[in-house]
Amino acid sequence: MSDIAVATGPVVEKRRGEGLTATALLAPATIFVAICLLAPLAFLFRYSLNDFVATKKMMVEAVTIANYVKFFTDPYYTTILATTVRIAVMVTAACLLLGFPLAYVMARTQSRFKNVLIILTVLPLFVGNAVRSAGWMVVFGNKGFFNASLQGLGLIEKPIEIMYTEKAVIIGIIAVNLPFMVLTLQSVIEGIDRAVEEAAFSLGASPATMFRRVLWPLAMPGILAGTILCFILAMNAYATPFLLGGPLFKMMAPLVYNQFTQQANWPFGGAIAFILMTVTLGLTLVANLIFQRRRAS
Amino acid sequence: MIAVIRRRAGRWALNGAAGVALAYILLPLIFVVWLAFFRQEIPSFPPEGYSLRWFAAILDQRKFVDGFSLSFRIGVLATAIGLALGVPAALCLVRYNFTLRGPLANLLLLPVVVPGVVLGTAMYVFQVEVENGLDVDVLGTFYALVAGHVVIVIPWVVRLVTASLAGVDRAIEEAAQNLGANAWVTFWRITLPSIRPGIVAGALFGFVTSFGNLEMSLFLVGPGRTTLPIVILQYLEWKIDPTIAAVSVIQILLIGGAMLVTDRYVKLARVV
Repeated sequence: MSDIAVATGPVVEKRRGEGLTATALLAPATIFVAICLLAPLAFLFRYSLNDFVATKKMMVEAVTIANYVKFFTDPYYTTILATTVRIAVMVTAACLLLGFPLAYVMARTQSRFKNVLIILTVLPLFVGNAVRSAGWMVVFGNKGFFNASLQGLGLIEKPIEIMYTEKAVIIGIIAVNLPFMVLTLQSVIEGIDRAVEEAAFSLGASPATMFRRVLWPLAMPGILAGTILCFILAMNAYATPFLLGGPLFKMMAPLVYNQFTQQANWPFGGAIAFILMTVTLGLTLVANLIFQRRRAS
Repeated sequence: MIAVIRRRAGRWALNGAAGVALAYILLPLIFVVWLAFFRQEIPSFPPEGYSLRWFAAILDQRKFVDGFSLSFRIGVLATAIGLALGVPAALCLVRYNFTLRGPLANLLLLPVVVPGVVLGTAMYVFQVEVENGLDVDVLGTFYALVAGHVVIVIPWVVRLVTASLAGVDRAIEEAAQNLGANAWVTFWRITLPSIRPGIVAGALFGFVTSFGNLEMSLFLVGPGRTTLPIVILQYLEWKIDPTIAAVSVIQILLIGGAMLVTDRYVKLARVV
């Protein structure tokens, strides 16, 4: 009996010491994120339940869902939400289509330029959306590269209006999100054994069959992760619609900013922010569930 | 024979499709760089000639210089604090097993998932509350901006350091301790050197994320205190010209350089 006590004594003490060390290591970061992220989100949600007196531009303390009701009953706002979802879906589909071949080539290449390929894909990610929008402005402006080239070739008489239309916004967001899709797919495809593909070929499968029956199912986790990431980013796009869509084009993220700074309507702005976040996460969850059910069956 | 030709054609089609996607990603950057060297001010094609004068013109515009300096200082400070908080947290998440490990790990990674606009509005509201509650200046101050940026740096540090810790062989640490090294010496002499690639990558990704952040910062900047991405956004709202393109070129060079340095320490292919 006493032997056991002696034997377990130091072990217990060591455990307690470990617990202290673990807490000391993790607590600062956790407390910081809790104060600077969770508390603000809680406050924002509380604000979204407040009232707003438009005539005085003042927030009045209350507990009401009026802001949420206002959003969903006014077609002006529901149209903006619908536009945002539609654009996000189109952008995501385009990114998957464009991104898969590049991801596959990057994953399978033996070339020593593989790192260059990856840097070229990652670099635009970090350069910032405003700068990339500037690039599209140079391409699509009335005297821009696209119109000047077509006019120079005599294909069109008047410049085609692309800037400040939905087309420009979609083209711009695809370029912003494509690297995320490519990098996600690439890391998953790299994990698929090359031999599996070779096996399919040696059994007589055509490239199309191999893709449909082998590569696509095996890459599914990456396709799902990339699609979800791309969709979330497109839903929340700010700089691209702001710069390429012009003042009349509206998506959700610029709308939140507008309500906060131009209208000073914090309760409504907060409500829109939460609606944006909930719709995004909700659609993501639905996609996840559909995928899992398909897998199970 | 036909099969070989078909396979070769398939290969070309695949590489072609990949090339199109890569060109699509790079196209906006290529045009920004091109515009920076135009002689005329209006971005019309074909260019009338080429000139370097726009790069000199940047220095005449205080807002670009100030914006760059502010973004740089915030980035450096936020990265330093992010490392001080994130590296120990990553160490704890990998080395210790406890009930709340999963949720806490998710909490530290959460800031990258929350949309920038939501992050910005939430922090703005919170800082107003703190300002009213404690009667001190918070909103629009340098340190409030840095605090916001630390939140978005932490996930990168935690993610990349966690990944590199997973590859460290614990036997070496145990060997060091068996030979008489205490916990501190083991950490400084064994653990830290072996996770240096993860720390370097985390620091650079964190810095670049902070330096380029736009959405959140929009809500947190004060009068006369504007970060470079916001200066660029506000300028582009009015016009696009070679000056702003030259500013962008400098930013591209800076970030490209940072990526190349990171790539020497840790293969980017493994961290992104």
